[in-house]
Amino acid sequence: MSFEQYVVETLEAIVFPGFIFIFFLALFYEWFDRKLYARLQNRVGPYYTGFHGLLQPLADFIKLLSKEDIVPDGVDQLLFTMTPLFTLALSVFAAFLLPISSTQGLVSFDGDAIVSVIILTFLCITVFYAGISTYNRYAIIGAERSFLQLIGYEIPLMLSVVGVVLGAGSLSLSGIVASQAGWWHIASPQILGFIVFVFAAQAELERIPFDLPEAEQEIIAGWNIDYTGRRLAMFRLARNIELVFLCGLAATLFLGGPLGPTVEGYTQIFYVVYFVVKSLFVLAILTVVRALFARLRIDQVVGFSWRYLLPLAIFQFIVVRLML
Amino acid sequence: MSTFDIPIGPMHPALPEPLLLKLEVEGETVVGVDFDVSYMHRGIEKLLEAKTYFQGLPLVERICGICNAAHGLCYTLNVEKLYDKEIPARAQYLRLVVEELSRIHSHLLWLGVAAFEIGFNTMFMYTWRDREAVMDMLESITGNRITTEYSQIGGVRRDMPSNLVDRLLKTMDVVEERTKYYTKVALTERTIAKRTQGVGYLSPEEAKATCAVGPVLRASGVKNDIRADDPYAAHADVPFNVITYDSCDVFARIIVRAQELLECVSMIRTALRHLPEGPFRVKLPMKPNAGEALTRVEAPRGELFHYTLSDGGMKPYRYKVRTPTLANLGALRAMLTSKGRYVVNIGDVPISYGSIDPCICCTARVYFVDSRKGRSWVWTLDEIRERSRRGELLP
Repeated sequence: MSFEQYVVETLEAIVFPGFIFIFFLALFYEWFDRKLYARLQNRVGPYYTGFHGLLQPLADFIKLLSKEDIVPDGVDQLLFTMTPLFTLALSVFAAFLLPISSTQGLVSFDGDAIVSVIILTFLCITVFYAGISTYNRYAIIGAERSFLQLIGYEIPLMLSVVGVVLGAGSLSLSGIVASQAGWWHIASPQILGFIVFVFAAQAELERIPFDLPEAEQEIIAGWNIDYTGRRLAMFRLARNIELVFLCGLAATLFLGGPLGPTVEGYTQIFYVVYFVVKSLFVLAILTVVRALFARLRIDQVVGFSWRYLLPLAIFQFIVVRLML
Repeated sequence: MSTFDIPIGPMHPALPEPLLLKLEVEGETVVGVDFDVSYMHRGIEKLLEAKTYFQGLPLVERICGICNAAHGLCYTLNVEKLYDKEIPARAQYLRLVVEELSRIHSHLLWLGVAAFEIGFNTMFMYTWRDREAVMDMLESITGNRITTEYSQIGGVRRDMPSNLVDRLLKTMDVVEERTKYYTKVALTERTIAKRTQGVGYLSPEEAKATCAVGPVLRASGVKNDIRADDPYAAHADVPFNVITYDSCDVFARIIVRAQELLECVSMIRTALRHLPEGPFRVKLPMKPNAGEALTRVEAPRGELFHYTLSDGGMKPYRYKVRTPTLANLGALRAMLTSKGRYVVNIGDVPISYGSIDPCICCTARVYFVDSRKGRSWVWTLDEIRERSRRGELLP
């Protein structure tokens, strides 16, 4: 590997489309989510910091970093310290898989579509560890709920991804993107998979109507109740990057990823714009769902997943199989 | 499976009131519940004994910020019973208008809080936005958004000019339209139905046995409303329907309150169209007759009870307030107890608790003083119940 190549790859990983780009993209998505949610509720939303509150998520992040770092008595020190780091690292790695500025991600290999789904399960496991490591009663219930929820939505989520993988005939995200050069997956029976994916993503991100692990009115903050300062900032950042990842994954799997009409010489810029616009479209759907419903109860969440999402995912799988 | 305790309150995001719910849970299921309301004591009854009847009104209004109009009205009606003087009809009608307006604002507030308890933040924001229209009208009529002190001993504080009547009628159109919309949302939105139907079940027998009051009682299908049963102010002249619903759950309480909003609107319209002419206040002397008076008023949360004992002086000898929340706590325990096929989940607790529209700041704790032994202590509701069962409360 030549020196220039080395420098370019390092810069790609750190600056664009690597960590720093994803960091700011995550903050922007949080702002978009909050603003749209507020407008749907007839509120103003973030307003004062930056243009229409654009810098509010960054301000919140910096504020949390500067807060006192509290390790409560009686927590599992190792898990309590490591889980936020691990969660952040996992979600950043997941975001590296996304094809943002080209048809393949920073990290790309055969089978990364499967890895991206596995990471989602790992992220849920980190939530569980975060909950039980504090030995707090609310946190334990939150952790318990996050696992119960996982039982509900994980299989439909995987099936919806498998449908796309079958349709594209490729196990890698770049292959899936390439297969959508002419026709996006959403304009086919795969749209059922898209619906399943959106609901499962909502549950994975713990947003209304599936925000049980941190249901404010029931168990205060749930699994993250004892986290403060830096650790909470890391969890929140990880959650925002996960938001980018899930919206981006939906865009990649169903909406053609970064593909679209481009101008010669500016392909990369167009790719980034298409990726952001498409994933913002997915995010807008997620936000509208969040504003439209009341929170379900835990038994109803699992029931909903097995009664509606799973049959829908299986139906999509069968239809896609028959079409091949 | 072993059980463990989860304390909800006295500080909790879902309960802005200082109440402690001690839940014994097994996984997600609540197997036992216990509560403690003794976190707030302001000594209002004792303070009232140190104030003249006219000075007592601002204090009474501060028992509860939301149902302040009901407290003020109950107080004035109660004190007026000690005088032998007719109160002008116009004052009675204006009292009814302000009472029903404050019921609208309380019920809209409750709808928002109930939506918030089940995580439906959008509805919470919308109902509170529409409540502002009512608050603005209250401000125009009385000069204040809450703690209005509109009802005074002998009448009302100020008259309502005719242009205000027109504005109020227009606001009622807005409230009616929005209320119909919220009723439609509550009836058609499936997540609301899933979270509220069959939750917080209170059978009519239990409701009667635990002495539930107000919308909680009416949602269990029991027709009971002080405005109809024991009319005060102008309620005898202004017709309305007592709303009941028979599904006995939180959903029924939402429907009952939403329907009551429409009744309030129609009552205000009737009262304003038939507003009698004449004075709005009579002057009453500082000292009422000796004797005792007892008044019941249908506050937004249920039956409110005030009692005065007068010795003919300027100050009450004894004043007693029984607020609707205290009456509904027994019903709350019945709602939160799993029995047979009826299972209470942790997720059901906030909305069941919210469905009685709690206002802990107006419930009292019992503080015992033994002057002979120089000892003082506090008994919780449970201890009193236990002791009364053993017959130890009698001296």
